[in-house]
Parts: sequence; C-alpha cells; structure tokens
Amino acid sequence: MPHKPPTKEELERRKIVGIRDETITDVSCSDFPGHYPGEDHSWDIDAFRRGFSVEFHQNDRFEASFSLIGCDASIANAFRRIMIADIPTLAIENVFINNNTSVIQDEVLAHRLGLIPFQGGHEGLHKFLKWWRKPTDEAQMNNSYYDFNTVSLKLEVQCEHNDKAAAGETDPTKLYHHAHVYARDIEFCPVGRQDRYFSGADAIAPVNPDILIAKLRPGQEISLSMHMHKGVGSDHAKFSPVATASYRLMPVIDITRPILGDDAEKFARCFPRGVIELEKVTKKEAGQKGSGYEGHAGELKAVVADPMRDTVSRECLRHDEFKDKVKLGRRRDHFIYLVESTGQWESDAIFIEAVAHLKKRALDLEKQVKNMVR
Amino acid sequence: MSREQYQVPTGSGSPTIGTGSFSAPTARDYTGDVGGVMYYMCGDCAVRVPLEKGAPIRCQKCGARVLYKERTKRMVQFEAR
Ligand SMILES: [Zn+2]
Repeated sequence: MPHKPPTKEELERRKIVGIRDETITDVSCSDFPGHYPGEDHSWDIDAFRRGFSVEFHQNDRFEASFSLIGCDASIANAFRRIMIADIPTLAIENVFINNNTSVIQDEVLAHRLGLIPFQGGHEGLHKFLKWWRKPTDEAQMNNSYYDFNTVSLKLEVQCEHNDKAAAGETDPTKLYHHAHVYARDIEFCPVGRQDRYFSGADAIAPVNPDILIAKLRPGQEISLSMHMHKGVGSDHAKFSPVATASYRLMPVIDITRPILGDDAEKFARCFPRGVIELEKVTKKEAGQKGSGYEGHAGELKAVVADPMRDTVSRECLRHDEFKDKVKLGRRRDHFIYLVESTGQWESDAIFIEAVAHLKKRALDLEKQVKNMVR
Repeated sequence: MSREQYQVPTGSGSPTIGTGSFSAPTARDYTGDVGGVMYYMCGDCAVRVPLEKGAPIRCQKCGARVLYKERTKRMVQFEAR
C-alpha cells in the first residue's frame, strides 16, 4: 500500500499536547526520522527556516514578551537557561567595611548590597569591562584590580538628629537625617578610563534608587567601599540579568460543538477575561444543516478570541455541560517567552545575546569535535 | 565570608619583650600603666566609658554595670554573597 502524505489537519494535530481533565497526552514530539513510515523527518535547515518565526508581543525596557514558533523544546529551553545563567552583568562582589554600627550585621549588609541591580553605559558595560579573575596568590590581590575589570563604589552615611524637626514628630525619617539608607546613597568612584564610558547619564548607578539598604538611628554610621566585577548567573544569582526568564506553550482551545446561550456565558467565565468572546449566531449558520446552530439564529455563541491569554486552568472541564464540547491543548512548538530585565541590559537584547552565546558555544564544540576525530 | 586574620594589637606605649631578630610576636603587656585605657559603651546611657586595668566595671555617668566592647577600628572585608 503506497504511503499517503499526511493532511494539513493531521500535521496540526501532531503538534498539539492534549490536556484532559486529569491527564496530559502526546507529551513528546514525534517529528523525528523513522517515527512515521514513509515520511522523511530528518532535520533540514530549509524546512526549519520555512516553519520558524518570531513574533513580538511586548518590548519594553524591563519586560519583553515574544513567541518562538516552530522550534524544538531543547533549543527553547537552552535560550531560557542561557538568559538566566550565562549572560554577564556587573554586580558588587567585595565589600570593605570600615565601620558599621547599624543593627544590620556586616555579612547581611554585604549580601544585601550584592543583590542591588546596577545600570551604566552599554558600551562600557558590555565592551570595555572585562572579567576579573581572583588571583591564586593572595599576595597578588592588589595587583589584580584595573579600570577595565573593577568598578569602585562607596557608601558613607551617618545618622544624626534633625534640629528642625517639629515638636512631637514621630516619623524617624523626619526626626533624623539619614534614618533610611537607600541605594541612591551609593556613590560611584570612577578611576582611569571609566570616566570616558560612565559619565553623565551613563554613570554606574542603581537601577532602582529607592531600594532600602538599612535603617539607622542617631549616632549610627555605615562607612564602606565596594568593588564590582563582572560575573554570570551560574556563579551567583546576583549576576543574572533577568528577574525571570520563562516560557510557556501556546494554549489551544477547540470548541468542537456549539456552546450557546447561558451556557456560552458560563463557558466564558471559566476562562480569564478576553479568551472567550460571545457572538450572535448568524442566519447563515442557523440555516446550515448539521452545524448545530439550526434554529438558534440571534442567540449568543462562545467563540475563542485570544487563546494566548488563557492560563489553562481546565476549569471548563469540571462542568459536565462542556465536557465533550471542548478540547484543550497546547502547541508543542510555540513558545511564549517572558523576559524581565533587571535593568543592566535591554530586555530584548538579553535574548539576542543568548542566541549569540549559544552560537558561540556550538562553534566551540564543533572545533573540539573536529580536534577529537582528527 | 572571610575576615582578616586576628593580629595581636600592639599599642604605642606597650613595651615589647625580646627585641631579637627572630622573636615570636609577644603578648601585650597589660601591666604597663600607659596605654592601658580601654573604651567601652555603657549599656544604659550609651556614653563612651574609659576603663583602666583594675577599675570597677561601672559607667562613670549613670553607674550602670553593663558595658559593651567597641567595634573594631579595622577594615573588615566581605564577599557580597
Ligand atoms: Zn551610663
């Protein structure tokens, strides 16, 4: 029997992960060689190019949302992990505490300082600044700091009574000067060529100036200097350029039989707002035999408006009236990313950098494999 | 979290025993009358209290008997982790 090429519907069906009330079906992809007899599923760059697309939904400084359509989960996950763990950023690494009489302990204070995200001129951050390697010889420590691998900061705050405070004032921030120490109190101390890259609007500064670092009372003091270095998220989470980078699969809602009237309204309430819309059944639909709309012209029917907004809560499957009228699923090759930047990189640049990083790693691997078989 | 190693403080007035070229660092001589003053913080009124060796542990201002040690004047280094 000669093999029949798969229909378009069949190809679509293969891409859907089924979501039933208590089970998930078709979890793994099946488009690999040898799975369907008579079909060639060997990987091909042209076929990939034809099927692949990128779609941006939102692109702000701190948040980007976009879809990768037509790629494998292994690639999508690699991008996600690279964004979290392999894109370098600048963060506070060493804290030199001269005095800290506040109630917050030295090591906790140092840890808090490390987690503060900083911003600065992009050329300086990404091109001028290089890695700092801790010297193996402790004596060489002071010879390892250069303007191209270390950024110096300081924090000098003393809390004092405010003589101008009104009598009976109880708010510590009005009663005392510097009762609260904020990220904006951190001072950048440029050295060497850093002036050229980090001046004016490009100066190294905390992204969120209102981060509360410590609270002081009169007589207490914090006096410290800090060294920032470049690092990656796999070393410590403070170096991660993203607050979170995640993806989810595109939800699919397939209404197989008409849902009408009050049922339609109830059905729409099973989903987040905007996923299901109500439309009037047209005369043409009502006139069609076997459509399920016969004699329902003018009534409301449920239609899928924006499945991307669905959280796939499966609420609709809990109601018997919808059980065999709707099929839920997710598209296995449609990844909706959400990248939240901490501010040092543009949120879309993080993804582009992740692509470049994966490419570089692949080329490195190719070189090593070639050396291996030589 | 690394703290620099503890070194025995050598006050300016404290005499050192053994001035040879290879002598182990000697313990501070607390019998010396100069430089024996240590400062503490009063637990009650937070005043800086100078105390000499053998003096009663008591705040000269309010008479409280709980005194706290002052924080080190040395720089301490921490990793921000
Ligand atoms: Zn006292």
